[in-house]
Amino acid sequence: MLRVDNITVVFGGVTAVKDVAFGVKNGELLGLIGPNGAGKTTLMRVITGTVTPVSGSVSLINTSLDRKSSHERIRAGIGLSQQIVHPFRSMTVGENVAYAAGYAKTRNPLRSILSYSRKKEMDKAREILKLLDIEEVAEATPTNLPLGYLKRLEVARALALQPKILLLDEPLAGLNQMEARKLADKLLELNRLGQTILLIEHNLSEVIRICGRIIVIDNGIKIGEGEPQKVMRDPDIRSAYLGEGYNNAAS
Amino acid sequence: MLFVNLCMQGLLQGGIYALIAIGLTLVYGLLRILHVAHAGLYTLGGYIAVIVTNTTGSFSLGLMTSMLAVGLVGMVIYRLIYQPILDKPPFVALIASIGLFIALEEIYRIIFGPYGITFAAVPLQGAVNFAGTYLRECEIAAVLLATLLIAALTLFTKHSRIGIAWRATVTDPEMSQSFGVDVVKVRYLNFFIGSAMAAGAGSMVALMNNLVEPTMGSVPSYKALAIIVLGGLGNVRGTLIAALVIGIAETFGTIYLGDYLDRDSIAFAFLILVLMVKPTGLFAKG
Amino acid sequence: MEYEISLLTIMGISIIGALSLNIIVGFCGQISLGHAAFLGMGAYTSAILTKMGVPFAAAVLAGMVVAAIFGILVGFASLRVRHDFLAITTMGVAFLFLGIVRKQEFLGGEMGIAMIPDPGLGKVGYMILVLLLALAVALFSIYLKRSWMGFTFDVVADDEDTATLIGIDVSSYKLIAFAIGTAFAGLAGALYAHHVKFIDPESFNFVESITVLSMVVIGGAGSVWGVIIAAAALSLFPMWFQFIDQYKLLVYGGLLCAIMLFSPDGLSGIFTRSLANIRGRESNASG
Ligand SMILES: Nc1ncnc2c1ncn2[C@@H]1O[C@H](COP(=O)(O)OP(=O)(O)OP(=O)(O)O)[C@@H](O)[C@H]1O
Ligand SMILES: [Mg+2]
Repeated sequence: MLRVDNITVVFGGVTAVKDVAFGVKNGELLGLIGPNGAGKTTLMRVITGTVTPVSGSVSLINTSLDRKSSHERIRAGIGLSQQIVHPFRSMTVGENVAYAAGYAKTRNPLRSILSYSRKKEMDKAREILKLLDIEEVAEATPTNLPLGYLKRLEVARALALQPKILLLDEPLAGLNQMEARKLADKLLELNRLGQTILLIEHNLSEVIRICGRIIVIDNGIKIGEGEPQKVMRDPDIRSAYLGEGYNNAAS
Repeated sequence: MLFVNLCMQGLLQGGIYALIAIGLTLVYGLLRILHVAHAGLYTLGGYIAVIVTNTTGSFSLGLMTSMLAVGLVGMVIYRLIYQPILDKPPFVALIASIGLFIALEEIYRIIFGPYGITFAAVPLQGAVNFAGTYLRECEIAAVLLATLLIAALTLFTKHSRIGIAWRATVTDPEMSQSFGVDVVKVRYLNFFIGSAMAAGAGSMVALMNNLVEPTMGSVPSYKALAIIVLGGLGNVRGTLIAALVIGIAETFGTIYLGDYLDRDSIAFAFLILVLMVKPTGLFAKG
Repeated sequence: MEYEISLLTIMGISIIGALSLNIIVGFCGQISLGHAAFLGMGAYTSAILTKMGVPFAAAVLAGMVVAAIFGILVGFASLRVRHDFLAITTMGVAFLFLGIVRKQEFLGGEMGIAMIPDPGLGKVGYMILVLLLALAVALFSIYLKRSWMGFTFDVVADDEDTATLIGIDVSSYKLIAFAIGTAFAGLAGALYAHHVKFIDPESFNFVESITVLSMVVIGGAGSVWGVIIAAAALSLFPMWFQFIDQYKLLVYGGLLCAIMLFSPDGLSGIFTRSLANIRGRESNASG
């Protein structure tokens, strides 16, 4: 479904990602893990076109995204939930999601000016918020909500786009253990219903529990790939990554 | 000879612009505010200089009083207008500042009358032969004052403790705060010095034109904005260069482009051209 | 009576002008300090064309088109530069417009254009036309705000980078906001030209840009009702009360400054908050 080939990213002389390649298969829930500063978010940004790589290419369902601008890539079927939350603060949580759900109406300006009713999208938004257990804040504005809610709003907005692939950058951060488990279950459920997901997470126990396959990167280099249990048993990966990450998983 | 003459006039004009624009760019560097009302202080500087000179008979006293008083007014404006809205979106301060500027001009008109005021006996008008062209003493004085003030500012920010703290704050407000710089004190100092420099410029222009009018700040105000954008908002050296470039471009432009474009829009034509090529100004920092 | 008719005509034109800027600043969140230039483009185009014998309606339409074309060009600037840089760029455009007009013989130069043809509707007829057009622009604004295009403008004004990341072609929408806003500005300018019958560069100077901006900001950027009320009030008061006319600019300046200090979302913000207060008190009383 999604292919990333030979991606190298340099920030002011520092190589953040080096020659990374991987693919996400149709219907897969792929985990992308690695210590802080490994280059996970940067890879995500390369996929959405926010960061331009020095070399490499990205393609979605066999069409190259390389020459497409960010919004065109999203339209090609990507739903992104960012690590740092960016809710639209001037509108309610419900409107945030409803706006994204109206993606067909905003594809071209002419259609947008001729479209008026928001009812269908508001209903759709409620449905998604309910799925993620945050429908009680649908009428609230994002400004004073706790991070756990905003993270899920971020996921909700991505889901509302009905993407072919969902890119999630640390969606479980800011949630307590129970909420995290519940959301992870929801992701697994979505995946079983056919949603392709690429999941970046620090919460290792949940990643290992729900992902069918994981990729490990460290210092911008891919150091492992495969079935979660198997990969985590690899001594090289343990020393490179688990040195600090093991505690995360345990806690 | 025309060439030399135009260069001199351009540099003179540029020096005046620099005195106004430096205060403006410092405020921007520190607070990210486009302080349009700054030119209102330039006008106020002119008024005070004329009034004090006419009462005491001494222009240097007038100049000094003007710079000191306007510096204080600048601090008051910071306290009353900008400080309460620092955390609001940037356009809030910008519009407040435009409002203040328009109100200031009206206040001058109401207090001092619409036709402006002049020196009772205007000093420094003798002509001096300089490199083959004639300059008036007041013009030379203006160039000297501009050079002196800018040099003093440079020395101050390089060598005094508070000056160094100030420069650090302009470059990176959060960083310097974490190094224990008293940011509030720096802001007051910033407004004092920036406003005093504008008052200096206003006094010299008052002297050169022998006239201070309520609206004498309008054109410089907006032009100074163009200059600080060209200079790369918040960049003092860039602003200085941009001011001189605009000063010279205008004097030459008036001669060679005069049929197509009026003098006051040359700076903006230049600005728009530059921004389309380089959206962050000629000398963007960072 | 004639004076009142003229007053209402000016009010209608002010409302169109303010609503046009509201689409750019209030809806789409793009600051513009040079709006008078677009009124000027509409005015000059329509004035010159009618003097050449083009019918009034066609000339006004042409004025709108010319303003919108330049509006889109400035819109392109808004794609390159943001926030403070955009504020200064739009201001620069306004000064450039004046600078060029002043030097063009065929635009009347400093002297301006006099004896602009009358549309032949009579004073009352013209007033009614202007007020109907103002009503139409107001209704369009209300519709636009509630449509999905208005929804998109909200999102772009809120956070354009994030808008891009949910698939919004931010550039196109910004350009459209500039096109619509400046086309209506052209309309206001053309209507003004045929009302006063004389225009010169000073009719569209920087203070005029700020006057239009004042109406938007004082009314509450984005609020159609707030902007209409502010535009009506600010265009009527100075003429009704001669003593205010003397201090018109002081009032504008002072109001701008005060509104920014105490209620940056303008009259509409004050209104919404007081309404919320009253509701709050009622529910406290009942609950
Ligand atoms: N815009 C940027 N400019 C310069 N360096 C950057 C930029 N963005 C990221 N980096 C650097 O690139 C490296 C990779 O960062 P990235 O955010 O991709 O890591 P990450 O794996 O997402 O980490 P985390 O788990 O903390 O989110 C880091 O060293 C970071 O400092
Ligand atoms: Mg990250």
